Amino acid sequence: METLAFFAYALYLAIIVGGGFVAVTNPDLVRALVGLVAAMFGVAGMYFLMNAPFVGLMQLLIYVGAISVLIFFAIMLTRPPAGGEEQTPSTRRPMAVLAAAAPVALLGVICFKAFKQTVAVPDETGIKELGMGLLGTYGLAFELISVVLLVAMVGAVLLGFKRREEA
Amino acid sequence: MIDPQLLRILIALVGILGFVALNALALVYAERKIAGHVQRRPGPYEVGPHGILQPLADALKLMGKQLTTPRDADPVIFWLAPILCFMPVALCILPIPFGPNLIALDLNLGMVLILAFAGLGVLSICLAGWGSNNKWGLLGAARAVAQNVAYEIPLLLAVLSVAFMTGSLNLATITEGQGTWPWQWNVLLNPLGFIIYFICALAETNRAPFDLPEAESELTAGFHTEYSGMGFGLFFMAEYANMIVACSVATVLFLGGWNGPFAPGWWWFLLKMYALIFLIIQIRWTYPRVRFDQLLNLCWRWLVPLALLNLVYVTIIVKL
Repeated sequence: METLAFFAYALYLAIIVGGGFVAVTNPDLVRALVGLVAAMFGVAGMYFLMNAPFVGLMQLLIYVGAISVLIFFAIMLTRPPAGGEEQTPSTRRPMAVLAAAAPVALLGVICFKAFKQTVAVPDETGIKELGMGLLGTYGLAFELISVVLLVAMVGAVLLGFKRREEA
Repeated sequence: MIDPQLLRILIALVGILGFVALNALALVYAERKIAGHVQRRPGPYEVGPHGILQPLADALKLMGKQLTTPRDADPVIFWLAPILCFMPVALCILPIPFGPNLIALDLNLGMVLILAFAGLGVLSICLAGWGSNNKWGLLGAARAVAQNVAYEIPLLLAVLSVAFMTGSLNLATITEGQGTWPWQWNVLLNPLGFIIYFICALAETNRAPFDLPEAESELTAGFHTEYSGMGFGLFFMAEYANMIVACSVATVLFLGGWNGPFAPGWWWFLLKMYALIFLIIQIRWTYPRVRFDQLLNLCWRWLVPLALLNLVYVTIIVKL
């Protein structure tokens, strides 16, 4: 069982890294999106491996099923040519690498410092406990996140309306 | 050495693929025959007695055809789309309890799994429409996105109302929560939820009167205009498999699953599921296609508010 889990881990890791690489480097936006979807699939697999099927399924439902479709819709509305000529000159690549590497390093350090390495797979948390936790213990953080999301959504609608008036 | 659970899933997947393929053959025949009788003609009649071998001939034709890729199409995305369309549907059938013990994967989150993988269908339609580099294909994809994203909301709300009633997302538990007789099924307590679910299921499976992504009179064939042979065949099989999933979920959520008077079992499940599929086919050949603004107005002005009201009604019922 343990070797199987190891192979699954390696497979998901390869999918995430490979998909992410395609998403970042491919000049064709839709192909980049396919890479992103693959990476999201890999992350969902990781959740399943960590015995958190609810989070894994939500990852699929929200990111693969909804967010990627919205990104696709945005690409379609802006109509880039299918050949992939929208790539910008890569003069700012060092800054981009730095911007990507900084949060990765920070999160990595926090993860290694805060969590001890464990071998045992954690027990599956039921949706009931998950719901109790979200609305009870972590209620304030949960509500704050929803307020942030609401503000972002209202802001996006507002910006959309402004654009339309100008045009 | 091999994990029995893994083996069970593998065997189930093979079984499901066989079931889906056979079912597609049967449903193609049923669809064409029903269409024929609705339009006062016999339907397929030449191949075999009463045309019963017609779907086999169709399948051989589809498999024998050359697979062509349009010149300016994106070959990777173009051929990824039909595979991505078909594979998740097979996974969606895994957690459906066909009988008391006839369930491939007894999962606490069975309903969520079906919803999660059903969402992949839209993505594959988008990729198909985009990858074929065809105006009709792209228009079909744009319609599919607007339609599926809109109708997913009332669909989720209708499913949620049943989850409130049963307190579970496990399809087997939901089935066991309903009794033997028809008046003990969820559809009686929650009829509005059933109607909303059914309308949304029609829209999510792209069946008429909501088949705008492939409206042949306006878009030739919409997102699968450019597909030949089994490329089209996979989309076709996925559509029928999607009908099975949608009708099975309706059977489990609202019609008591495999429960039935006198000898409950998988035959009751199949009877109810095929009755619903028959209804879907009849609707397709009875009603004209809706216009796109009608489609979206129906969803946002009627189905979403009604589904929300229904949710309030269900919470009151559960409390009582």
